[in-house]
Amino acid sequence: MKKWKGIALAVCLTLILGTLAACSKGNSSSQESPSAEPSQQAQQTGQASQAPQSDKPVKISFFNTSAEVNQVFEDLFKTYHELNPNVTIELIPTPIGGAQLEKFQSLLASGNPATIANLDAGTILQYKDKFLDLESDKAKYEQLTKPGAVDAALLDGKFLGIPWTAQGYGLLYNKRVVEEAIGGAFDPASVKTRDDLEALFKKIEAAGKAPVMIHGADWSLGAHYLGLAYSLQTNSVEENRKFVEDLKNGKVSLLDNAPFMGLMDTFDLLKKYNARKNDPLVADYNKDSADFAKGNAAFYFMGDWTWAVVGTLEGRDQDFGVIPVPISNNPDDFGNSQIAYSEPKLFAIDNSGSSPEQQAAAKAFLEWLVTSEQGQDAIVSKMGLSMPYKEVKAKGSNVISDSVAQFVDQGKSINIAVINYLPQDYWAKTGASMQKYLVDKIDRKGLAEEVENYWKSNAGK
Amino acid sequence: MKKSGFYRNAGTFLLFGGPSLLAFAAVVVVPFLVGLYLTFTNWDVRTADHSVVGFANYLHVFKDHVFLEQLWFTLKYVFFTVLIANAAAFFVALGLTRGGKGEKWLRTGFFTPNLIGGIVLGYLWQTLFSQVLPYLGNKYGWPLFEKSWLTDTNTAFWALIIATAWQLVGYLMMIYIAGFSGVPQDVLEASAIDGAGRFAVIRRIVLPLSVPAIVICVFISLSRSFLTYDINLALTKGGPFNSTELATYHIVQKAFLSDQYGIGQAEAVVLFAVVAIIALTQSYLLKKLEVES
Repeated sequence: MKKWKGIALAVCLTLILGTLAACSKGNSSSQESPSAEPSQQAQQTGQASQAPQSDKPVKISFFNTSAEVNQVFEDLFKTYHELNPNVTIELIPTPIGGAQLEKFQSLLASGNPATIANLDAGTILQYKDKFLDLESDKAKYEQLTKPGAVDAALLDGKFLGIPWTAQGYGLLYNKRVVEEAIGGAFDPASVKTRDDLEALFKKIEAAGKAPVMIHGADWSLGAHYLGLAYSLQTNSVEENRKFVEDLKNGKVSLLDNAPFMGLMDTFDLLKKYNARKNDPLVADYNKDSADFAKGNAAFYFMGDWTWAVVGTLEGRDQDFGVIPVPISNNPDDFGNSQIAYSEPKLFAIDNSGSSPEQQAAAKAFLEWLVTSEQGQDAIVSKMGLSMPYKEVKAKGSNVISDSVAQFVDQGKSINIAVINYLPQDYWAKTGASMQKYLVDKIDRKGLAEEVENYWKSNAGK
Repeated sequence: MKKSGFYRNAGTFLLFGGPSLLAFAAVVVVPFLVGLYLTFTNWDVRTADHSVVGFANYLHVFKDHVFLEQLWFTLKYVFFTVLIANAAAFFVALGLTRGGKGEKWLRTGFFTPNLIGGIVLGYLWQTLFSQVLPYLGNKYGWPLFEKSWLTDTNTAFWALIIATAWQLVGYLMMIYIAGFSGVPQDVLEASAIDGAGRFAVIRRIVLPLSVPAIVICVFISLSRSFLTYDINLALTKGGPFNSTELATYHIVQKAFLSDQYGIGQAEAVVLFAVVAIIALTQSYLLKKLEVES
């Protein structure tokens, strides 16, 4: 009897200690790799990526913030696994518009980071010490990409993330609706100033159509619309960063700032002709995009990414394009003929908890992803994105990004990379102020004050 | 001899209690203590900085009028949610214990929302409030529904309460039903013989005898509505212009979006204190009302 109890006790203790040991083992193994000297590690992987891959099975994980295309990535991983049976890639999905950063941070904090992370450039900058410096691959990617694409992806001068998609935004137009309203062919280049835009809006309204759709979500208003104010100061990212610094230190008065005032004057115009005037903050992204695509509004302040909704819609119009948001009545002002353009997502490789083998496998996979036929086809045709690469054989159906590309190829783009250096919550906080302005809860002065106060509260950070 | 008895008891205890104790320690006690420690540091996941800053974070919390406003907003929200959910659940439970036809089906029906996750439920109500009701409102000219309820701070507040209460009602109803079935039949019969009407029976007999159920229900609805996050996220996302952020939502935003983990965590501790004080006081006070039949 006593013996049995003793055995039971022993079994219990073993079980409990076993679980404890299992926990601690997990910790130590994940902490081992970061403690290895990172610089040495990076060099090793730099060489390893050139060398043919070993036959040892490698398992890497892929953290994805482009949640709407999780499935496409998963299919790509399967294809790659068939081509390279020793590499298994596991997707760590995130919800659309949901707790993406939270998940990324918890993976990092638990010492279990994803090998590859598809992140906003700004996020990579925030965690720059955790990622692998891709300096050794920079020259190769400069060869592969369109001119300037690698430069635009540099974060504090370092090549930490590989660009794979480019996006542009502005005032999208539905060609059929605009042409029906003006009774003839529409030349997008004819809108050079705010007055031009207003004249066009008046015609469209007279034709019984809603002239423009403002999507009332904080990300659209705060990051994309108000975000232009920081990028339109000058066409130098460095100068624009300085402008933001001045805002933080309270040296700038927005009410005396021409780009901000011009941008907001145009916003007043959009507000006046807004299709969602009755209830501007509903902000149903799918509905707004669909209504625009079906011709219920002639213009739409949005970007080429909305093709993910529009492209598969039934009964939509065929022809769309983009024009810049005019911010003044002088056609030569910066921004009146340029489209906001950026590489919003970059692929970064973890350097805080991944083994050199994993990093090498990650590099090889990413190169395959952006250069192979299967990879390009998936990005361009299935995801409907445009790639800033020279030799892209796949042809997409996204007419909006084609329209953006026309501006970019002529050099008419606004480099909005300054937003990469802004704090992570700027769009939510200033977006809330823009929402208040949209529903007339505050006036221009109140808006300027709230935005200035937000920046002042970030002084020294 | 005594000593081996102690070990024997400890062994038996560990056999049965050990695994759950371990789980409890791993997912509750340890994170709580680590969290408490983090409130005294300026922890940042990006730099892995852990320097101790004393009570600076707490000072910041009490100076942050946005958080205090949102805490007040949360208190109002909790008050109305608890009130509405419990009142509705009480009467639904009363209605469904009379032995009518199809009672079981109705109980299942009322309980179902509780099985839907908060996110799904939030999106469901979001569609209802921002698409379906305005559509009907504009069609039939109901001024109350002409605009989406989610784009105005006041109506969004009530939308949150309605959605949360709707989810809670089914769960609370089950507890009330269990409470009512504990009311002894002989007392009810005696009161009927004495000529008590339906209302008098409820007020004088059912209500006092189901105080234990009420205590549990109020406690559950209190703690659950204080910690509402998912419905808030899916239904209003804190909007319009961050005016409907409940305390939990604000904490998550503070920590993960604004990268102020220490302050966010300190806010969480403050919230914990508020919830603990309110929940314990109410159960202490209500417990005094309990009677024996």
